[in-house]
Amino acid sequence: MKTIPPPCLEPESGPKYWRSLEQLADAPEFRQWAEREFPSGASEMSDPVSRRNFVKIMSASFLLAGLGATGCRRPVENIYPYAKMPLDYVHGVPQYFATAMPTRRTAIPLVVKSNDGRPTKIEGNPDLPDSNGGTDHLTQAAVLGLYDPDRAMQFKRNGSGEARNTALDALTAISKGLGDGTGLAFLLEQSSSPSRNRLQKAISEKFPNARWNVYEPVDLSSLPRLAATLAYSAPVEPYYKLDEAGVILSLDCDFIGSEENAFNNIRRFAKGRHLDGKESSMSRLYTVESLFTLTGANSDHRLRVPPSMIVPVLARLALNVLASSAIDGQLQALAAPAQAHDGWIVPCAKDLKANPGKSLVMAGYRLPLAAHLLVVAMNEALGAVNHTVEYHQTPDSKEGTISELAAALNAGQVQTLVILGGNPAYNAPVDLDWAKAQAKAKTVVRLGYYEDETSWNDALHAEKQWDLPAAHFLEAWGDARTADGTLVPIQPLIEPLFGGLTDLEVLALIGGLTPSSPYDIVRQTFQGIGGDSENNWRKFLHDGFLADSASSKATAQYDAGELTKALGQLKPGSAPTSGKLDVVFYRDAKMDDGRYNNNGWLQELPDPITKITWDNAVMISPKTAKELGVFTERNAQSQKFFNYIVEIKLGSRTVRGPVWVQPGMADDTIGLALGYGREKTGRVGHGTGFNAYSLRTSEAYYASGAELTNTRNTEYELANAQSHWHMEGRPVVREANLDQFRKQPAFAKGMEAPANHDPLYPNPLDVTKQNALHQWGMSIDLNRCVGCSACMIACQSENNIPIVGKEMVGKSREMHWIRLDRYYSGPDEDPQAVTQPMLCQHCESAPCESVCPVNATSHDDEGLNVMTYNRCVGTRYCSNNCPYKVRRFNFFDYNRRPLNHLYKSPLVMETDGEYELLRWLKNPDKGNLPETDWQLAKLVKNPDVSVRMRGVMEKCTLCLQRIEQAKIAAKVKARDTDHVRLSEKEGTVPKTACQQACPAEAIIFGDISDPESSVSKAKEQERTYSVLEFLLTKPRCTYLAKVRNPNQEMPDYKEHSMPYTTQEFQKARGASAEDEGGAR
Amino acid sequence: MSDFFPKWTNNLPRNIIIGALLTGTAVTAGVTYYFTPKYTRVGYQPIQPVAFPHSVHATQLGIDCRYCHNGVEKSWYSNIPATSVCMNCHNQVLKDDDRLAVVRESFASGKPIPWVQIHKLPDYAYFNHSVHVNRGVSCVECHGQINHMDEVYHAKPLSMSFCLDCHRDPARHLRPLDKITDLDWKPASEEAQLKNGADYVHDWKVQSLQNCSTCHR
Repeated sequence: MKTIPPPCLEPESGPKYWRSLEQLADAPEFRQWAEREFPSGASEMSDPVSRRNFVKIMSASFLLAGLGATGCRRPVENIYPYAKMPLDYVHGVPQYFATAMPTRRTAIPLVVKSNDGRPTKIEGNPDLPDSNGGTDHLTQAAVLGLYDPDRAMQFKRNGSGEARNTALDALTAISKGLGDGTGLAFLLEQSSSPSRNRLQKAISEKFPNARWNVYEPVDLSSLPRLAATLAYSAPVEPYYKLDEAGVILSLDCDFIGSEENAFNNIRRFAKGRHLDGKESSMSRLYTVESLFTLTGANSDHRLRVPPSMIVPVLARLALNVLASSAIDGQLQALAAPAQAHDGWIVPCAKDLKANPGKSLVMAGYRLPLAAHLLVVAMNEALGAVNHTVEYHQTPDSKEGTISELAAALNAGQVQTLVILGGNPAYNAPVDLDWAKAQAKAKTVVRLGYYEDETSWNDALHAEKQWDLPAAHFLEAWGDARTADGTLVPIQPLIEPLFGGLTDLEVLALIGGLTPSSPYDIVRQTFQGIGGDSENNWRKFLHDGFLADSASSKATAQYDAGELTKALGQLKPGSAPTSGKLDVVFYRDAKMDDGRYNNNGWLQELPDPITKITWDNAVMISPKTAKELGVFTERNAQSQKFFNYIVEIKLGSRTVRGPVWVQPGMADDTIGLALGYGREKTGRVGHGTGFNAYSLRTSEAYYASGAELTNTRNTEYELANAQSHWHMEGRPVVREANLDQFRKQPAFAKGMEAPANHDPLYPNPLDVTKQNALHQWGMSIDLNRCVGCSACMIACQSENNIPIVGKEMVGKSREMHWIRLDRYYSGPDEDPQAVTQPMLCQHCESAPCESVCPVNATSHDDEGLNVMTYNRCVGTRYCSNNCPYKVRRFNFFDYNRRPLNHLYKSPLVMETDGEYELLRWLKNPDKGNLPETDWQLAKLVKNPDVSVRMRGVMEKCTLCLQRIEQAKIAAKVKARDTDHVRLSEKEGTVPKTACQQACPAEAIIFGDISDPESSVSKAKEQERTYSVLEFLLTKPRCTYLAKVRNPNQEMPDYKEHSMPYTTQEFQKARGASAEDEGGAR
Repeated sequence: MSDFFPKWTNNLPRNIIIGALLTGTAVTAGVTYYFTPKYTRVGYQPIQPVAFPHSVHATQLGIDCRYCHNGVEKSWYSNIPATSVCMNCHNQVLKDDDRLAVVRESFASGKPIPWVQIHKLPDYAYFNHSVHVNRGVSCVECHGQINHMDEVYHAKPLSMSFCLDCHRDPARHLRPLDKITDLDWKPASEEAQLKNGADYVHDWKVQSLQNCSTCHR
């Protein structure tokens, strides 16, 4: 029988939280769809095999199973201890090593856990001065990339495998015939490695005529560096201190989501937004952008303008901020089209100026050089320098671009081309026609992590091409510098699985330098920086960084000359129309520039804003969608939502992709995420999305004059996690404005109707609480959470959560234990957005427990709601009864089956050329994956967490394994004393994986029976509330309500004078805002 | 009615009931005895590649368990010693004995000795050696008197109820920490064990942990 949901306070009219446009439309089909336990399709058997056939097959397989009766004997298993015991090794005790993950021009300092020789979990290194141990989702997912069965495994010459030594000898031979380097060209990725810098210099001395070129398809740091360098006449780069800022203005700069060093930006931004009580203050964020980004979602005021209008808006802002009159004329010409936005711009500029030394302006990587110069000038005028932004000295680099290299190749000036990393055949600007250019080189040496578009193939074969497999950063030695310049080691945890090389190694071999082993190279570089004492080196490796090696602050004088010059080259843009659309090419939140295309965790991670998985889409605003007639529709037969495939024409080039109507996008603008639509990639990335690079020329990240036509003939389903699991408009996220919070700090309390009944479920903890040593709980600060999704991947990595594939996500069968809910509110053209991490709430009186017929889910004495997988029979009653919809069911054996063969019976399935049933009879422990995949897939698993099989329910355990390990460690230490309680003061309370990964420190876990613990203190804050309080489930996981900080002088303040939830509930109760000063 | 049912059918219901009861009892008894770890595991004694007598090493020579199983106090896993540990003594003692040929060969070649696993828990049960041996539970509780075995066999059932027996009533099984690896140690009397055990439970804050999460993750 269907339970009627309790009365819901959502008003019929007025603004309300919504999660997708379909919901806002409030169609009757949607209501029906939403009220189901799982959305349509998730819980139905949609197997093409009918039930009747299924029974037939099953009875046949039972018969066959009888043949295996010999299996009653206990199988003999062997234990293989070492022949010679390594020192300091205890089997079963994980080891931790400090290392770092190199990013474009920075690095993320890490501590990586190794279980018996295999790296399994990546965590941030909290010991660095510029780190809190948080990371980002890309870093968390890197460990899966290490064990990717599709990565390049072989050394290849013209496409056919060669021995490693043959390849290395060939490199040496190439090096000997290079003369003075004429005809030698390198194409590199950006790097912060001092070793690479050193090798480049050494090779340049040996081969003075060699060409050096660097290419990043999405270059995050070159323009800000160049602008700062020009403005200060010294090689410097900006370093933002968002925590010091009171007012931040971001101009198309998604510093939370996609800029360089985003995880540190998040940490500092969250610190600036932190509220302790009503006395504390928080920063204010203004955003001007075309896309709807995470930064926009977190801003207090957001101006959405097409990309061609961003520079005019910036110019207008500059006019209001800068006092100088020298460039006023130039600015005025540029700023003219933005006059319409004066209502927004003037008070924003006023706010910036009112906070000298505490305001900060940031420009995104997509903006032109003049815009970056203008931002430097504004920061200088606002007194931000050395307060909210520092300029750090940076090594001067003079490499060429990929366009110069292509020109040289086409002119026949390059005989030997060395491509280290990157994938230019896929992502080079389309006007360069890279494939043809690359084919002009006589010899190509290519180091790549995958066999991809740039690997040897018919289209681009040179006379001779060597494809070398690259080593993962967890496999080989290296070094790097973090964003603040601190030197960090890249220390391997495992031998290269497939003998891969690093860029350092290949450079040394091509340059004929000794030593050529990466360890020796890095060691030698370190000697030059940290001294040659063995102790320094060991400390460096142990700590994971070299103390006091951060780059020094520059003290150069600002010079406005370059700005005038650059402004002269800018042409004022014209606003787009629906016939001539603006295009934004952007770095995808998950695929980056395409480099993580074959990473299943990232493919399945919902985009932080759109919540699309496994695809990119053509983003357009609701208004433009209506004009062009491309709204999301529903198929009359299959009852499924679909999107049209549209064709975008830009100049003479076209690309086709599914359209996605994105609330909050600028009108007449198309957003295209890069990194999808790969022609040659692994099995995971194959067939995902469309290739936006095929439209992009070397001009920039913006284009204008695009035409969009609806092909009308193709329906495409996007696997979207957005509309699933929505919350029926109850006050799940609660928020207030800062002044309301100050007036009534406990605004979040009592926003819901009081419970109209006694508790439905007995509270098992009432009896057992007394016996337990700890009581675990969690507090999540929505004011700090920015929605970056690092926690989701951290959880996936820690808890062996499988990926399920696009088809399954389409049926809402994704397995994430923690998800990021994103709610929109307000008008769909320009909504506010909030994000909320949602995980098992660990209710004290948990509805799931009372309906489990086999006691598979129960409470332990310390307040955890635990799942015992081996008891679970898969009734799914618990999931049905869970008000938070956080339980996940294994509809298939995701861990042991290839995702494209989920439905196939083992009777008809062949793996490695052998019938699956026979394979199973020979070795029942083996999965249905091919042998090599199976061997690699096992390595990434955390041995401390059960791998769940088909038919089992699972959910967040609050990282039970970490708690148990901490308790065991305390008991082992206590021996015959009673000092067994974990305490935060002694640092023995573990962190959950999500908490550990969170750069914003939004998640706090700990012992709530200890009044001194930080979680107890967080829960004491007045903003604390529990989700769906009126059900009296008493969640152990509580939230701290969000506070926004709007500026009263802004034109949109009328609508934002009170966040929508507050308005909504006051309306429902008939209380006036003036009397109450907030909800009661 | 006799046309339909002959006379002997009068007894049929009774016979069926008795028969069903007897069969039921036999099946229940059979399953309880033959299908539980008490029967299926206890007594399992595979032939090991090297005839290693614990009786000689532990009892006659008095080598402590932890000389070879040195990970037991630090890890969830109590390790089988590496060949190099055997060779610490056997490069002097019984240097050329035929029975040790496998060991010498392993040490020379670096290939491990393929010992046969005896004690094994299911993967979903997370047993931890270190927390038991550091908190008063002796090896003998689960492994039996290994120190008197010539060839190791499975002495206790290691079933879930076996674990719970102790977890429900730890006082009966705890002993002083210096007697953990003394497998021959016996409490002075049952009363003494109960009294001392209760003291340990109190003084060391030993909890009677019966939550699912204690062993299953």
